[in-house]
Amino acid sequence: MFPIVLLSVFAVVLLFLGFLKSRSVLLPATLLFLVAALVANFLDWNKTYLYFNSMLRTDNLSMVFTAIVLLSSFLVVALSGSFEDDEAAQPAEYYAIILFSLVGAIMMIGYENLVMLFVGVEILSVAMYILTGSDKRNLRSNEAALKYFLMGAFATGIMLFGMALLYGASGSFTLAGIASYASHAQQGLSLIFYVGLLMLLVGLLFKVSAAPFHFWTPDVYDGAPTIFTAYMSTVVKTAGFAALLHLLAASFTYVYSFWGIILAVVTAITLIAGNVTAVYQNSFKRMMAYSSISHAGYLLIGLAALSAQSRQAIVFYSLAYSIATISAFGVLMLVTRQRGMQTLSSNPLSNESFDAFNGLAKQNPLLGLAMATSMLSLAGIPLTAGFWGKFYMFSTAVERGQIWLLVVAVLMSAVGIYYYFRVIIAMYFRDGATEPIRISPVFRYVLVAAIILTIGLGVAPGLLQGLF
Amino acid sequence: MQIGLLCALIPLLPLLGFVINGVGFRRVPTGLVGGIATLAVLASFLIVVSLFMSFPAEGGPQIVPLFDWISVGDLHIPFSFQIDQLSLLMLLVVTGVGTLIHLYSIGYMHHDEGFGKFMAFLNLFIFFMLLLVMGANYVIMFIGWEGVGLCSYLLIGFWNKNVSYNNAARKAFVMNRIGDLGFLLGIFTIINTFGTVEYVDVFKQATSLPMGDTTVLVIALLLFVGAMGKSAQVPLYTWLPDAMAGPTPVSALIHAATMVTAGIYMVVRSNVLYTLAPQALEVVGIIAIITALLAASIGLLQNDIKKVLAYSTVSQLGYMFLGLSATAYTAGMFHVITHAFFKALLFLGAGSVIHAMSNEQDIRKMGGLRKALPVTFITFAIGTWAISGLPPFAGFFSKDEILAHVFEHSKVLWALGVLGSGLTSFYMFRLLFLTFFGEFRGTAEQKHHLHESPATMTIPLIILAILSAVGGALNLPGGGWLSHFLEPIFEGSRQVNPEAFAESTIEHSTEYVLMAVSAGVALLALIAAYVMYISRKAVPASDEADRSMPEQVIYNKYYVDELYEAAIVRPIRSMGDTFYSFGEFAVDGLVNGVAWLVKQSSAQLRRLQSGSIGFYVFAMVLSIVLIFALRFFIRF
Amino acid sequence: MQPTQDVLIPEVIQQIPLTYYLILSTVLFIIGIIGVLTRRNAIIIFMSIELMLNAVNLLLIAFSSYKSDSAGQVFVFFIMAVAAAEVSVGLAIIVMIYRNTRSIDVGLLNKLKW
Repeated sequence: MFPIVLLSVFAVVLLFLGFLKSRSVLLPATLLFLVAALVANFLDWNKTYLYFNSMLRTDNLSMVFTAIVLLSSFLVVALSGSFEDDEAAQPAEYYAIILFSLVGAIMMIGYENLVMLFVGVEILSVAMYILTGSDKRNLRSNEAALKYFLMGAFATGIMLFGMALLYGASGSFTLAGIASYASHAQQGLSLIFYVGLLMLLVGLLFKVSAAPFHFWTPDVYDGAPTIFTAYMSTVVKTAGFAALLHLLAASFTYVYSFWGIILAVVTAITLIAGNVTAVYQNSFKRMMAYSSISHAGYLLIGLAALSAQSRQAIVFYSLAYSIATISAFGVLMLVTRQRGMQTLSSNPLSNESFDAFNGLAKQNPLLGLAMATSMLSLAGIPLTAGFWGKFYMFSTAVERGQIWLLVVAVLMSAVGIYYYFRVIIAMYFRDGATEPIRISPVFRYVLVAAIILTIGLGVAPGLLQGLF
Repeated sequence: MQIGLLCALIPLLPLLGFVINGVGFRRVPTGLVGGIATLAVLASFLIVVSLFMSFPAEGGPQIVPLFDWISVGDLHIPFSFQIDQLSLLMLLVVTGVGTLIHLYSIGYMHHDEGFGKFMAFLNLFIFFMLLLVMGANYVIMFIGWEGVGLCSYLLIGFWNKNVSYNNAARKAFVMNRIGDLGFLLGIFTIINTFGTVEYVDVFKQATSLPMGDTTVLVIALLLFVGAMGKSAQVPLYTWLPDAMAGPTPVSALIHAATMVTAGIYMVVRSNVLYTLAPQALEVVGIIAIITALLAASIGLLQNDIKKVLAYSTVSQLGYMFLGLSATAYTAGMFHVITHAFFKALLFLGAGSVIHAMSNEQDIRKMGGLRKALPVTFITFAIGTWAISGLPPFAGFFSKDEILAHVFEHSKVLWALGVLGSGLTSFYMFRLLFLTFFGEFRGTAEQKHHLHESPATMTIPLIILAILSAVGGALNLPGGGWLSHFLEPIFEGSRQVNPEAFAESTIEHSTEYVLMAVSAGVALLALIAAYVMYISRKAVPASDEADRSMPEQVIYNKYYVDELYEAAIVRPIRSMGDTFYSFGEFAVDGLVNGVAWLVKQSSAQLRRLQSGSIGFYVFAMVLSIVLIFALRFFIRF
Repeated sequence: MQPTQDVLIPEVIQQIPLTYYLILSTVLFIIGIIGVLTRRNAIIIFMSIELMLNAVNLLLIAFSSYKSDSAGQVFVFFIMAVAAAEVSVGLAIIVMIYRNTRSIDVGLLNKLKW
């Protein structure tokens, strides 16, 4: 609750700070605000509260998710230093929008009422439409924004129709009310309840880019400015999964037999679509978009199983995934900018291709290390956080006895190793004409922190488990 | 302060030192680098001392849980430290000797351009060594075990411009992997058998098992394979002499005083398991005596000052295992401690000599150095005296205790042990005489350059010399302080096999005779060396000189390296080649086929991503309709 | 306002069976979906989406009055407010695209694919 209030106020303050001539205040101010929100988040630690007429809830799980979201956005914002050099950029607005969107994300994490879920999803989504199109003169960015907007609005429509049907069936928007209606599953529930549940699920699955509702993802991630792609693929995904987890665990456990199999099939399709399609990509950025689809698939395993371990598995996985993704995108931004300056071509396709990484590690050991760590973590190699994330996910599937899903997931993570290692091979074993890239101190700290977190969690996964 | 915080600080301080020196490499001023690294270890040492002081005399183990580490199903592995008599002793040795060697390294290495990196690695090594020693379960021990292996690898190859140094590093790596595999299998078997890896729980459960339990035997043997790799026992010992390619302080710290004794620590830690498996102890004994004699005999004819010390280390490690095989765990630990003192001293002394001789390591080119390097000479002589097992220095007491226990156990092993002790005495005094006595045999330039080392190097020498001299007082014959102190550790073993821990049946008179015999043999060897290298002024022949057949064999280290090359490396390689040419077709075909299939499906699948909003929405709607159809119209 | 009038509105709504509302709004919703699927003009797609949202609003009001529960009507206000925000952002995006390409035909936007 505290972060919501604080972030709303801070975002308005940031807009006013935008009037100042100097842009250099904005970044530190935003980082400071995020830290303040993070600290405030933990004020309610170990207590469970319901706020706003029981519309929002804070408990340890929601606080941990909020912390992951805030941490991810902290890292992303820290990597956004390049706005200062860009004439057309409007950093004050961007930062304010990010803070506003975080309010939406936190509402998605802590909602107790479908109204809050809807408002949260919309705050987050509308903010994302704007950020996606923020590179106004770039046609790719424009196209991405329009695609995202039209499809997002369409998905919202479907989600709303689902909510309306659920309301019609159960007479309530609260999760508890719906749960008490669903608890009579033995006597038979009305058809519109099931239809409503499915449509609500589809709307949310769209937001986390699960197949076959994922088609917007590669185009949008590819077209959006890289920094916002990093933000979307981490914060939006984490919030979306927190929302799904809460929805399914709080309201629909009674009708698991109805949605469990659907979600399992969706999971398998997502894993296959994400991983297999990523193999053929030549652009690193687009590969990361498909990779994010595949990770949505891994996260869905925990939902489709919905066992006792699912919460912990989803928390761990989304943290591991967010850190690795942000540091990978961070390195990509540096490399792209460097290539842009070197070749004087603004063709983003060649600057973001795998070839752009050739020989990177020789001249820039830190960048190489950061990228290699995050690739290893995304691929799920032991001693990185990603390994334990996958491990926990897979063990939830085992607990549910979904062995066929497990087989698909393991096969697909083998496929994943192929495209993640392409980057490592390019960096360490290919020769390229890369010169040392100047890295600003903030950038360096973020990358080092990401490396430490990834390896630290990989060596001692229990650290996080103790939290809740 | 809380004990938990203190314990956490012990390994954290060296880690902090590593981070400061490692991250700030090239930026921390050279003057500070050594200070930071040494202070970090010194602070850990002081904490250990304070813990040691406040530790109750006969207290049980104190478990310090730090956090939940790994929990998988029913298996919970917490990250916790265990403070008891055994880990305290090892901690004292590691941090104490570690501090001295850090101090020494400041003098020895500060001209090197990689000084910061070197100190950072040393700190990292200490960190992992502390984890190994403090961990309250086998998994933490394994992490430390791997970590020290990694640091050893990094430090052996520290001067990595030299190809042979790199090869040495790689050899150490591979040999240790073989051992680690055994260790790892041992841990898995432990998990399988006891369902936990915590020492306390494992040993509690083990005490209820019968003597000679097969599973325990398997575990003990597997763990010993790990120990063989790390503690350089036959047949996995050849990496240790080659590891001398690293800088001398590294040899002293890692390859003499601490890391190589990890195997002994592990066996002592698991003493309950070994006591339960007498057959395993017999295997340990046989391997130990072979190692001790083989290495000692090779040492007789080596001409590289560090190689001699390396073989003597291998041989002394053999003695420690020999003690363990006679269930004389205390004696083994005692020798670990005294050996840490005098072997570190000898290596550091050798480093001082090498420093003075402008990186000359061949003892045939030295001689008469006692005038130029008085401090080094005196301390080195004390170390030699101690390692040879001559009274009244430390080595005499510890080796004697081992031999006394072995005598009870088996007369043959004892006799062989005494023989080895004589060999040790001979080659050590040979080294001492050739290096410090007689005429200088080096070039004039070297002679001009001879100088005593700076204080940072001589102070550790002096301290270690004092410790080597008086270290024996820790455990005087007839129930010394150490054996009393360590008693609680062996409580479990005593429970399962009271006979092995019964009061010694040897009468005092016999004991004195035994002592006299081993000291006498050592003294004889000393005299022989004196006659040969001082009276007759013999100098070992150059590499090309003709040698008699046995001499040739020993000089070439029994051709073990060549044997490994011919018997293992080459067959594996040719087998690999065969498999390769055969498997290339089948396996590659399969792998490439799958890869091709994935690629093709990827090429097709991505066409779905047509870029058109209309299609995307259509796909969405179609899937929703499909889901509805499947869920509501087709029942399954 | 007299108390009787308060009761009146739900009663008017309840004169038509709930199923009819359900069918009507479902039909409206599907018309919206078909509009999104078949049209290429961004503005018209957008209008179809608005139609979908209004179908939801209608449904919510019907449920709300049949259950005599105000929550559904409150939700409608939320939807209207959020839809307004969405409209402004959406139109801004469409204007931005029109400036760059002089067209709002979504069929032309296929640079990002595969």
